[in-house]
Amino acid sequence: MREYLTVSQLNKHIDHLLQTDVILSDLWLKGEVSGFKHHRQSGHYYFTLKDQESVISCVMFRSQARRASITPQDGMEVLAWGSVAVYAPQGKYQLYVQELQPFGIGAWQLYLEKIREKCQAAGYFDIERKKAIPGFVNRVGIITSQDGAALQDMLKVIRQRHRRCQVFLVHSAVQGAEAPYELAEAIRLLNEHGESEVIIIGRGGGSWEDLMPFNTEIVVEAIYKSQIPIITAIGHEVDYSLADLAADLRAATPTQAAVLAVPDINQLEATLARQQERITAAITRKITRHMETLDRIMMKKVWKDPLQLIKLHSDRLQQAQLSLNQAMGMVIEQKSTRLAFLTARLDGVSPLKTMQRGYALVMSGTAVVTRGEQVKPGDELRISMLDADLKVRVMGKEAVSRWKI
Amino acid sequence: MENISFEKALQRLEEIVDLLESGSLDLQASIEIFEEGIALSVRCQQELQKAEGRVQQLVKKLEGGWELADI
Repeated sequence: MREYLTVSQLNKHIDHLLQTDVILSDLWLKGEVSGFKHHRQSGHYYFTLKDQESVISCVMFRSQARRASITPQDGMEVLAWGSVAVYAPQGKYQLYVQELQPFGIGAWQLYLEKIREKCQAAGYFDIERKKAIPGFVNRVGIITSQDGAALQDMLKVIRQRHRRCQVFLVHSAVQGAEAPYELAEAIRLLNEHGESEVIIIGRGGGSWEDLMPFNTEIVVEAIYKSQIPIITAIGHEVDYSLADLAADLRAATPTQAAVLAVPDINQLEATLARQQERITAAITRKITRHMETLDRIMMKKVWKDPLQLIKLHSDRLQQAQLSLNQAMGMVIEQKSTRLAFLTARLDGVSPLKTMQRGYALVMSGTAVVTRGEQVKPGDELRISMLDADLKVRVMGKEAVSRWKI
Repeated sequence: MENISFEKALQRLEEIVDLLESGSLDLQASIEIFEEGIALSVRCQQELQKAEGRVQQLVKKLEGGWELADI
């Protein structure tokens, strides 16, 4: 009998050779995608890569396909990373793809534009969805490589600004095929943990290929869905990524992200102290002013010599009394002058004066006798002289005319 | 007052400073607002002192959940 192999044994042997080959077990292959199929049930990708002369079958299993930077399309120039192995049921070898990237910067740009449009349409970049970065933060989540210089830069700035700030670091690859998946997972983890008040996603500068994980839909979506505000700091100032567009705030560098995320505590403390001083000074001023006013009021004479108030009134009373007296005196003087004048006049016309000159008054009963016809001989009359009344009887009468005018 | 954020507290404190400095309030209102201002500033200061200052690494565990490790 000749020695022989079974078909299975042969394929197994060839497979072994392929898998132990240094080149075939880990290679990047450039080619144009054709015959792309996304198997709905399994989630695997099936396609071929070709160039002008040659073709190779490719398969990308669901777990890798899910994390792939791109979804392949027919005609797309790609770089596929993976290993070659035998597919025994069909007796052919194929490339088992781990990661797919567009080939060349032109292809990347086309790809990027496509993702950008898709994310835009999904609303991932909407301005009104952006969350405000809290102004005062005690707890910061950082997603970056634990070995990178970016982490040290950020920690240094955070220490300087707010030495008591708590930092939750989630390590993630920031470049390579695994990076998008790890970054998205880290965002979810920090959200689940829930302690961070703001999240910084950062890495230092690198080639445009290095920054590509930040242009993947999976990362953009995770940023969009984060409940915690996110600051991105990816590469240098000139580098823009889709993650930056989705973030709530974009920082030019990781250092700047740390400045934006964490308050300068020294400055805040100084501000607080100044404000305490200001309100204390303001209230002291107010109270001092009131006390001064009170002092001024209390210094008024009236409080020292309350009798002063009464004296004012009694002075006025005295003054009034004085005026009254004076007025009264004037009136009395006026009247008495008039009285004297009248008395003098009265004295002038008094009958007593006439009697002193030798005239007497003749009365018949109560009537004054002025004419002869009022009496007849025998009538009893009374003659009133200056110092006596004479009772007389008329002895006779004869008429005379005296000084008749 | 317990629930307002640090920034709100700081903002209110600024308002109070301006109000008091303007001198437009009567004495009673001034004293009330002054007391509020002092309380706010003390609270803000406590807030500044509160944080722990640790750097910890948050790692997802295989069975779900997470753990924190000081680094």
